Amino acid sequence: MKIFKIILIVFFSLGFYQLKSDEKTAAIEIKILKNIRCLICQGQSVHDSESEFAFSIKQIVKKKISEGLKEKQIYDFLKDKYGEWIVYDPGFNKNTYILWLLPLLLFFLAGAIMIKKLIFKK
Amino acid sequence: MLANQIGYYSLLLGLLSSFLLCIVSAKDFNSSNNKINQNILSLSFLQLMLVVVSFLSLIISFVNSDFSNETVFNNSHTTKPLFYKISGTWGNHEGSLLLWLMVLTLFIFLFLIKSREQPKKYRILTLLFQQIIIIGFFLFVLMTSNPFNYLFPVPNEGLGLNPILQDPALAIHPPILYLGYVGTSVIFSSALAAVVLNYISKDWGQHIKKWVLVSWIFLTVGIMLGSIWAYYELGWGGFWFWDPVENISLMPWLSLTALLHCITVLEKRNMFTSWVVILSISTFTLSMCGTFLVRSGILNSIHTFANDPARGVFILIFLFVLISLSLIIFFIFQKKNYKDLQLFWLSRETSVLINNWFMMYFLSVVLIGTVYPIFLDVISSEKISVGPPFYQKLITPFLIVFLLLMSFVPRLKWIKSKIDNKNSLIIIFIISVMLSLLIIKNLKVDLLFNTILVSAAFFLFFTTLKELFDKKLNIAQTLSHFGFSLLVLSILFNSILSSETITNIKIGERYNYSNGEIFLKRIEKKKESNFESIIAYFEIKDRNSKTIELKPEIRIYNQPKTITSEADIKTSILNDKFLVMSHVKGNEYFNIRYQVKPFMIWIWTSVLLISFGGLMSLFKKKNEK
Repeated sequence: MKIFKIILIVFFSLGFYQLKSDEKTAAIEIKILKNIRCLICQGQSVHDSESEFAFSIKQIVKKKISEGLKEKQIYDFLKDKYGEWIVYDPGFNKNTYILWLLPLLLFFLAGAIMIKKLIFKK
Repeated sequence: MLANQIGYYSLLLGLLSSFLLCIVSAKDFNSSNNKINQNILSLSFLQLMLVVVSFLSLIISFVNSDFSNETVFNNSHTTKPLFYKISGTWGNHEGSLLLWLMVLTLFIFLFLIKSREQPKKYRILTLLFQQIIIIGFFLFVLMTSNPFNYLFPVPNEGLGLNPILQDPALAIHPPILYLGYVGTSVIFSSALAAVVLNYISKDWGQHIKKWVLVSWIFLTVGIMLGSIWAYYELGWGGFWFWDPVENISLMPWLSLTALLHCITVLEKRNMFTSWVVILSISTFTLSMCGTFLVRSGILNSIHTFANDPARGVFILIFLFVLISLSLIIFFIFQKKNYKDLQLFWLSRETSVLINNWFMMYFLSVVLIGTVYPIFLDVISSEKISVGPPFYQKLITPFLIVFLLLMSFVPRLKWIKSKIDNKNSLIIIFIISVMLSLLIIKNLKVDLLFNTILVSAAFFLFFTTLKELFDKKLNIAQTLSHFGFSLLVLSILFNSILSSETITNIKIGERYNYSNGEIFLKRIEKKKESNFESIIAYFEIKDRNSKTIELKPEIRIYNQPKTITSEADIKTSILNDKFLVMSHVKGNEYFNIRYQVKPFMIWIWTSVLLISFGGLMSLFKKKNEK
């Protein structure tokens, strides 16, 4: 299966759409790397870091992309290995319901309070 | 040595003058005299001078590289250039707190001079509240962060300043930002004083608006300077990272911006009194929380240079005292307005309300995004990162609505109004959508979403631009709003159109990338007083075979031993060409990163326009009197 995949990828990368698909993978690679925290740096993404850790992660991501993994699968793989902390985009799960919903809730609550407390006239 | 002693004792005397000031002003508070006791002014001036002397003596210790002083030892080095010896004074925890303290005393003195036509009791009470903050800071500095600790035996050499802090923009970034932060303390104190004396009124609004404007201008420019520094010094070409410490400077800014809008309603219509007080309290609290979170080392960030739990505990207690004090005062003294507020849907009042509504939403996103990971870690010891994607997802949809509203709502008049020039608005809107569609369609990005976003920004851009040419009353406001639309547009196009190339290259090699060719001509080694540098000469040819030369640098600092990459940037009206390099371990190759970043200069210009609008508003007020 793996060999089949690699052959498929090699076939496509040699094919007619060589440049375009290359550009696309490069863009996805950068997008992924920007979304991964360099764990040994202070507030830097892997993309922006030149540490050895960042270097090895870059290799892993490259490899995973060439293996044909989707963006989300790569994040899941990294999360399994290094924990949720490594991804800058916090997923929507039981740990982050409050994080995502509280600001929205506050917005609508504030709106409701304004309409209730103040009397608006046309 | 001598400077060290003078600095320490004048700090002690400064604290003493605080207590004296409190006693004298408490006595004067109930005296029948209509004028404020002259001694209060003299004492306040004396206090300012004592802190200035203390600060100057710290600078002198830094200039003389007096390593018997612990702060100097930890943060300076004899080979450092004079300029950075001086700026190193506030490039560390102790010195920066002394700077805070100096600005605190400076501002209360200015307040006393500038508020002569205000009621005496109000002035004295503001002074007293400000002295509570000042005493807190004196104690904090003296007890946990004394900049004049004595070292024996005296070391021969210091540990040096972190090289990334040795930079002109970073030399002025903290003082400017602090002027903004500390300005909010005056707003805080005077709001509390005005609540106690039931003086929240049109007069007070008019008087305090100047302070709001001044703090807001400094805060805006201060944040921008930090951003510029991050852009060229941290070496990866971004200018805003949603890093916790950046967020922390943004929070008081959002709150202060809401206050700036709200205060106009108080000034003109004597409404929203309680809300103005709440915003005054929250703005200062957020500034203080900023200091606390940065200094305590809770946050994992490039800015953190102090990790001392004792300091954290002190600020936490101090913060707790200030917040409870202000809440108690607010709930006891603030007169309840039982009369229902009646507003017309289309009125200036409602427009300010909407502005505040959105500002508070943006604030809550930033606040929750910054502190939620800390709480989660404490409660469930699970670590998550909240980075740029979170903020972009929650802020952008609301920003679109905000931009659309901002295009016509600020033109509404007080009390009751209608929308003027509906036709021209519709025409401008259609033009904006068409223009955005034309631009976005040719780019490889999500068409629908980006078109909506860019259209909204263009809509604001064109409406404010048109207004600038109208003989409208409020040029200051329009200019700031125009600046905001320009800022949003520049950031959007910058993020959509930026391109970058990363490769390894050695001397004499040519590298072809999709848009041209990069050629590393030669490298040159240089030796400065506190670092050695490797300068590389690159020639970059783009598709139109225009050649530019860029000279990025690698610096090897001696103390502390650090390697930094200095980017070289060619700025033009349309884009910045940004090149940074680093050494690849173990061979002759250099890793380079070449970026073309459109409209960078417009990002800075638009922030300057926004603050310039504030400046105009400040001087307009003065002329009217």
